[in-house]
Amino acid sequence: MPLARADLESLLRTRRLDRTLTTTLALPDPADEYAIGPTGVTTLDARLGGGFPRGQLSELVGPRSSGRTSLLLQMLATATARGELVALVDALDMFDVESAAAAGVDLDRLLWIRGHVAASPGLCGDMNQRAMEQAVRALALVLQAGNFGLVAFDAAGAPGEALRRLPFTTWLRLQRMVEGRQTICVLVGDGPMARSSAGLTVRLAARGGKAGRGLDVEVRIVRARARQHEHVCLSLSTTCA
Amino acid sequence: MFACLYQPPAPDQPAASPLLAAVAQAFSPRYERRCDDAVAIDVSGLARLVGAPRVIGEELRRAATARGARVHVALAATQTTALVVALARPGVTVVDPGGEAEALAPIPIGMLARIAERAGSAPPASAPGGHGAGGTSAAAGMAVFKAWGIRTLGELAALPAADLAARLGSRGLAWQALARGDDIRPLVPEAPEERFESTLELDWPIEGLDPLSFVLTRLLEPLSTRLERRDRGAAVLHVALRLATRRPAEGEPHEVHARRLPLPSPVRDVRTLRTLALLDLESHPPGAPIDAVTVVIDPTPGRVLQHTLFARAVPTPDQLSTLLARLGALMGQDRIGAPATVDSYRPGAVAMEPFATDHDPASRPPTPPRPVLEPAAPVLSFSVRRCRRPVPARVTVEAERPVRVTTDRRGFAGGGVVGCAGPWRTSGYWWAGTSGAGARASDRWNRDDWDVALADGVVYRIFRDRETDGWFIDGIVD
Repeated sequence: MPLARADLESLLRTRRLDRTLTTTLALPDPADEYAIGPTGVTTLDARLGGGFPRGQLSELVGPRSSGRTSLLLQMLATATARGELVALVDALDMFDVESAAAAGVDLDRLLWIRGHVAASPGLCGDMNQRAMEQAVRALALVLQAGNFGLVAFDAAGAPGEALRRLPFTTWLRLQRMVEGRQTICVLVGDGPMARSSAGLTVRLAARGGKAGRGLDVEVRIVRARARQHEHVCLSLSTTCA
Repeated sequence: MFACLYQPPAPDQPAASPLLAAVAQAFSPRYERRCDDAVAIDVSGLARLVGAPRVIGEELRRAATARGARVHVALAATQTTALVVALARPGVTVVDPGGEAEALAPIPIGMLARIAERAGSAPPASAPGGHGAGGTSAAAGMAVFKAWGIRTLGELAALPAADLAARLGSRGLAWQALARGDDIRPLVPEAPEERFESTLELDWPIEGLDPLSFVLTRLLEPLSTRLERRDRGAAVLHVALRLATRRPAEGEPHEVHARRLPLPSPVRDVRTLRTLALLDLESHPPGAPIDAVTVVIDPTPGRVLQHTLFARAVPTPDQLSTLLARLGALMGQDRIGAPATVDSYRPGAVAMEPFATDHDPASRPPTPPRPVLEPAAPVLSFSVRRCRRPVPARVTVEAERPVRVTTDRRGFAGGGVVGCAGPWRTSGYWWAGTSGAGARASDRWNRDDWDVALADGVVYRIFRDRETDGWFIDGIVD
């Protein structure tokens, strides 16, 4: 049995598919800023081993009002404060500039790409599918350009059908593009999208919204591709700007 | 030997500057414009081609007359003498070498201000002067000279230089040098701006962008080399494609598909220029096969970049220019850029600005220090996901507070309200839509905003339009 596993790993390595193996990954050094990008939330960074890994496709998932956008904006603000250029592929065009400015994002350093995906396409499902593919192509172009500190793909609220109809190799291809670069690529969605291609998945859940007084959020860290799966729970609270 | 052409102002004469430059170019590549009405030409070596200095002067005047201009021509061993004499005397004047001071001596001192302006040799205004009348301008200097009783350039030239410097500083010495006909600086010849243009006539018309890519590369490579040699970058790229539609009639021009690409930063990389041109042609394709391609580049001075070892690398302007062009072709130019806040109280007001391609990581603005986060309860700022088109909703109100939100829009769940905050009332552009208001009626808003938490945990930002009394979901607190 160990021999069969070694053969399989060897085959995957030959075809440059060894990144899908959890056993071949080494945990990055938390102090290495060229390997890790802090989110700016100290508690979360401590649990993440310094922050989100660079050169990996990571995910930030959760239902509505779970604090995904708040955490994403915090990450964008921290990255721009480090002097990095960041990009946001806003598939559904729901980015709120006031919230970003309040979070401290340096807007001059943010490349905003506004998509055409509709949350409720009605009878225009095919057009929505094309819009989703267009947004993914835009993400690929930004990743290919390189040297962005953080590239986010915000598909939160997108119809599940539009995401499911994307070719299953899409995320593997994107993972390949970002591999070896110093870019943090974050996919934001209602649920996991990249699955085995994701380097790190952070799942957020609301503990109950308090209108006008922010959100109480539970964060679960799922290291899908690390040696050991971790389930860490911590609370984040959001406050009005 | 220098020649100077001066065109005195006259209402019926054409613009002097280009005309004089054209005359000068016809005789020598070494010429320099002095203001708009005079030009100094280095005519050394023309004696063997044209003849004696007077013959050169006559030829210059004839060439100017042929272009419709009446000019004064002067030839002298120094350009300053030639300039002064041309300003002072009509016709053709030749000053023999060594006779400069004698030729300039009788010219009135009032000429000095005109000469100083054209000679381009006036010292800075901050130069120290003497006795408080130190000549901060030529007019002030003339006033001083007149007060001293000096009426001609010869009298000024005869003054002791040390005493003049003690009273008027370096400016006084500069004026005296002009009065003596000495050159304070050499002639600075004008280099005509090189035209960066390349054309390729094709034996057979080509269709599609793939073969055009090779043609563009062949045209752009030598242009890029020339740009590099002159330390220039492309500011604007013009691509003209001559179309093989039908043979035009005699004298009729061919149909040309012309594109103009202003570049956000100076570029001379062939691959970048080719990619940008092809991306533009992808979105604006020619309507017929192409039988000739012309590329013209508007040059601009090149950039000097100093990278640092201590700052993280950011995409280069070339990379960003290409990326923005690709994204613009894919998503539409109005869908990419940098977000910008709007000076308005209107909720959700948004603007986009072109994304800058030149980012210096070392010059980033200082970011305000963030509050210290408590390890037990990290705090994030409050964010909203904005619906660009508000979603119509039905809201049940009891005791002036929303208690239930429902909507027919798929993907937006409704339910009972377990908590709410508001209303926050905003309004603006209430004058819009009236005659002469300068704003459209659609700019007007008058609304009450609420944040409502539903039983399933979702928090919506909703509002009631106070003019139509309709309720809408404006965003999701996330």
